[in-house]
Amino acid sequence: MSGVLTQSDLEFEIPAPRRQEPLPLSLRGVSKAWDKGRVPVLNRVDLDLDVGDKVRIAGRNGVGKTTLMRIAAGLIDPDRGSAEAFGTSPAENGQRFQRLVSFLPAGDRGLYARLSTRRQLDFCARIALVPRREVKARVEEAIDVFNLRELADRRVDRMSMGQRQRVRIAMTFLPRPHVVLLDEPLTSLDGEGAEILYGAIEHLLSEGGAMLWCSPAGEHTTYEFDRTLMLDEGKLVAA
Amino acid sequence: MSGFGETLSAFWAVIRRDFQVFLSYRTRLVSQALTSVFSLTLFYYVSRLVHVEGFTDPDRYFGFVVVGIALVGVLYSCFSVSETIRQELVAGTFERLLLSPFGGVQGAVATTIFPLAYAFLMATITLTVGTVVFGLELHWSTLPLALPALVLALLAFIPFGLFFTALTIATKQANFGASWIIALLSIVGGLYFPIALLPAWAQLGAEVQPFTAATELLRHLLVDAPMETSVGLALVKIVGFAEILVPLSLYALYRAIRLGQRRGTIIEY
Repeated sequence: MSGVLTQSDLEFEIPAPRRQEPLPLSLRGVSKAWDKGRVPVLNRVDLDLDVGDKVRIAGRNGVGKTTLMRIAAGLIDPDRGSAEAFGTSPAENGQRFQRLVSFLPAGDRGLYARLSTRRQLDFCARIALVPRREVKARVEEAIDVFNLRELADRRVDRMSMGQRQRVRIAMTFLPRPHVVLLDEPLTSLDGEGAEILYGAIEHLLSEGGAMLWCSPAGEHTTYEFDRTLMLDEGKLVAA
Repeated sequence: MSGFGETLSAFWAVIRRDFQVFLSYRTRLVSQALTSVFSLTLFYYVSRLVHVEGFTDPDRYFGFVVVGIALVGVLYSCFSVSETIRQELVAGTFERLLLSPFGGVQGAVATTIFPLAYAFLMATITLTVGTVVFGLELHWSTLPLALPALVLALLAFIPFGLFFTALTIATKQANFGASWIIALLSIVGGLYFPIALLPAWAQLGAEVQPFTAATELLRHLLVDAPMETSVGLALVKIVGFAEILVPLSLYALYRAIRLGQRRGTIIEY
């Protein structure tokens, strides 16, 4: 008998070779409890985002969506488990992690009320350590892409909520991250703003990025996701 | 990868941000310059009214106190960083720094620069008004040396602001106890009157912080005030405090941020 085995000699299929490249975003066994001894808001959550993935997490208010996004963004630590972007965790190499991932928090915070749009974007580009010679061009590009030309020199505290949200979205995409985490991104946006956002996401995905979106259950959006997951009682399940 | 130039550019962005926010409040500079002028006027007449032990004439005491007034502004600026960071926590903009490759610790350190530069400007205005309006006699030959001495002193002062920033991040309370510390440092640092007037036990406080040595050195360089110790010893003290306190305060800041991230309280305000 020949010593060479073929597929037909086996009773099972040879599994595909294990993926070698790290994923754009990988959450493994993430748990978080806000008070000791209480039921954790996140209970051993696993989530993988591959290149080109656009995933939505939905769920009731207070179910832990934002907590999950904050952990994925490296803003807060999980009690157990890990968050990695392309194999890098925030604890291992915070600077690299933050170059890869960009987070749009929910609400209207995170803007300097007395600075203009252009100043906010310039600030954002520089703390993102965008190469100095590219800063100006990136800022102007963001102003054009997110249709902020009219608002470029207007102070943020003189803008409407929807206009502020457009500025926040522009700041999220300006550093050209590989993964964007969008927490209720449609807040206060009009139809035009939403279309601009969808365009920015599609561009990111076409460049090999990935996107995680979270919003309350029942939110209406025309955007099509690859997957929609529900967060319920600390677990992520297919919707 | 980011280079030195990009990091420098991020520091510059923070300084420019603070400058632009400052400029957006148009009357602030005028109002603070007037406060300085009023303080000078008050102490000018106090120096004429009261004979202070150890000073041969009123002008000597006035020169002594003008430098003290200028340095109180610098002291306040050091501690103002924690208030700024508290405002950033409330506005959600500190979160933006934390989520940037530049990072929260460097962001907080960069936030100290504009207030200190502004305090330097105010100190210059104070000395100029003191000279032009009230006849303060500056010691021109050693005056240029005051600049590097001040930079050195700032390295010893900044850690106090960073410690309080760490405390603010941990407790969410702005300048928790800072006003007491500033008042105490003003007394034991000899900002308004010589520490020789204090009881012996209180004079011990003059030795355990860098403000006394820095104030004495700057007074010597600016208005030729006599020094209790040598210039060399004052420099050793300032450098020593800076060497010990800078890494300790950066570590405290880092630990406060990490603690907040671990507990999840970094998002609270």
